[in-house]
Amino acid sequence: MLSISTMRRTGGLVDGRTAKAGLLACVFLSALPPVRLFAQGDLDRLALRFASMTAVTGLEQAMVDSLRALFPGSTRDHVGNVTLTLGQGSPKRLFTCPLDEVGYVVGNILPDGFLLLRRVGGGGAGRTASPLFDQQLEGHRVTVFGARGAVPGVVAVKSTHLTRGRSAPGTPDPVFTVDNAYVDVGATSAAEAQGLGIAVLAPVSLAKRPQLYGERLLAAPVAGRRAACAALAAAVQAKPKVKGTVVVAFTVQSLYTSNAGLASVKALLGPFDDTKTAALPARYADTAVETVALADADRLVREILQWMEGR
Amino acid sequence: MRAVVVAAALLSVLPPYRLSAQDSTRIAEAQSVLAQLVETYGVSGAEGPVREAVKRLLPSWAKSETDTAGNLWVRVGQGSPVVVVIAHLDEIGFRVTGIRDDGTLELETRGGFISSLFEAKPALVHTDQGDIAGVFLPRDSGFTRHTPPPLRVDVGAGSRAKAMARGVSPGQTVTMPKQYVRLSGTRATGRSFDDRVGATAQLVALRRLDRAALKHQVIFIWSVREEIGLEGAAAAATALGTTPRRVHAIDTFVSADSPIELPNFAVAPIGRGAVARALDNSSITPPAYVDSLVQVARARGVALQVGTTNGGNDGSEFTPYGVVDVPIGWPLRYSHSPAEVIDLKDVVSLADMIRAVAETW
Repeated sequence: MLSISTMRRTGGLVDGRTAKAGLLACVFLSALPPVRLFAQGDLDRLALRFASMTAVTGLEQAMVDSLRALFPGSTRDHVGNVTLTLGQGSPKRLFTCPLDEVGYVVGNILPDGFLLLRRVGGGGAGRTASPLFDQQLEGHRVTVFGARGAVPGVVAVKSTHLTRGRSAPGTPDPVFTVDNAYVDVGATSAAEAQGLGIAVLAPVSLAKRPQLYGERLLAAPVAGRRAACAALAAAVQAKPKVKGTVVVAFTVQSLYTSNAGLASVKALLGPFDDTKTAALPARYADTAVETVALADADRLVREILQWMEGR
Repeated sequence: MRAVVVAAALLSVLPPYRLSAQDSTRIAEAQSVLAQLVETYGVSGAEGPVREAVKRLLPSWAKSETDTAGNLWVRVGQGSPVVVVIAHLDEIGFRVTGIRDDGTLELETRGGFISSLFEAKPALVHTDQGDIAGVFLPRDSGFTRHTPPPLRVDVGAGSRAKAMARGVSPGQTVTMPKQYVRLSGTRATGRSFDDRVGATAQLVALRRLDRAALKHQVIFIWSVREEIGLEGAAAAATALGTTPRRVHAIDTFVSADSPIELPNFAVAPIGRGAVARALDNSSITPPAYVDSLVQVARARGVALQVGTTNGGNDGSEFTPYGVVDVPIGWPLRYSHSPAEVIDLKDVVSLADMIRAVAETW
């Protein structure tokens, strides 16, 4: 099942409640055949590619650069949104896709080379993360995006063997939080970590290894968002004959404070007669195996094309 | 900040491993063997692919045999006293115990580990026809607890019949995808370093062994089902009986070299060499033998630490036959997790210790 959410313009500002409701609203597809053709394989490749990227909210630059390379002629505004304009004249409409994710930045580098983290997003302003969100880091590989490139690391976990006999039955079993996350990049000193290009504020995420399973099911962190953005990208690549003007915006900072990315697009390029946001239903949301059906993404592409062409 | 992000790779998909320009020939050799073994799957009782990988990596002169338990043997040299060197092939994981109506797989654990490390992560079901991808299901309740309820796997089938049509059946083993990845310096991460490092060190030692120097027979064994109770070693010990004089279990020294571990014991930092695992939960090495091992290391100039840690080792199955267990380990961070960390210098040190023991003790 898929959804295209609708946000009504209210005097140039977006009503957050309406927007949220719109995000959740599902529009079932009609059985109309697509007018524009897109290759399923291309969509799958885009979805896998987007799902393997990291775009910690507010620090989406790398993914933004990739999108700009994908769409020659697109522009990046000062906030970081990627926009491109299709067609001309009226009506003037906006189709968006938020590309950011809840993630982490390096908060401190310890003298022995371990890194400590601060979470970015998921704290309630944009969307509250699952109580187990941070626990997904424990004992797993992460990527630190340093000034000299991506640096692999792992988040420390107690060795199973050394916990034996040290806790009595019935003792507390608290979840792992980011405050317990020590990132080990193999460095033996702060200087060695810094030599890898790591500094405070470097983005950090779970190592992204999207997994395809079942019948075109895609599992990855934020797979729902990434597959929805892939559907929007595939629709643009299908070169629709748009009705009037359609601004396509891949927006940033949707998960932090005031959703500044989308607000900026509206302020800079609006007003718009209609606004829609790409969204897909996802299983196991907010986990490392958030799962979307790429068949739903196929339908979303068709629906986006219909909307753009005013059918 | 902008430069930081711009410079960051678009993808977090990194080359699985690289050879640093600073890598010595020895480090490169150890890595080339280890990476292949780490990226091969072999849950306890299903070690076949790892055993075949070890056989492929043996020196051409080595004649191997597989016993009825599944252990792989290579005998080198002649005469008494016979010395056994043993590392295990298997890794922790799961086994399918049932398939629900909705197509999800019920599991039992094989070996001891923290189950939350697998929750909501990618899964692989290992079948004779190849691996089937899936996901370990996240819990639907108990969000304030670290430990999840028993884990299940979803292969996207939707029903028992469809799952079975895809080739899934009870008894198959389940793990998560794994990858050998280099970290800073000579460090590396991956899953199942326990005990692919031991298996690697035995291979490297064999490749470099001076067979003419051997004064007695040395039996190299790659054992099965260690993680579920030292079962392969038990079979080998029974077969050899009182013949061996010593056994050297080549296995993990679970290290407290981490900011979140207690420093009471198991203090053997990674990167400082192999470790005489003098006392664990299964065996105590007689002090005179520890001293001898240290002397062997000194005579050869091999880095060796001495310590005590938790866990059992294959050699302990030989001790009821009057065989002295002198385990040699290497320090490992985050044991039995998907992100174990080693230092390749320790792998080289471990291989050198095995070779020294075979040739001189």
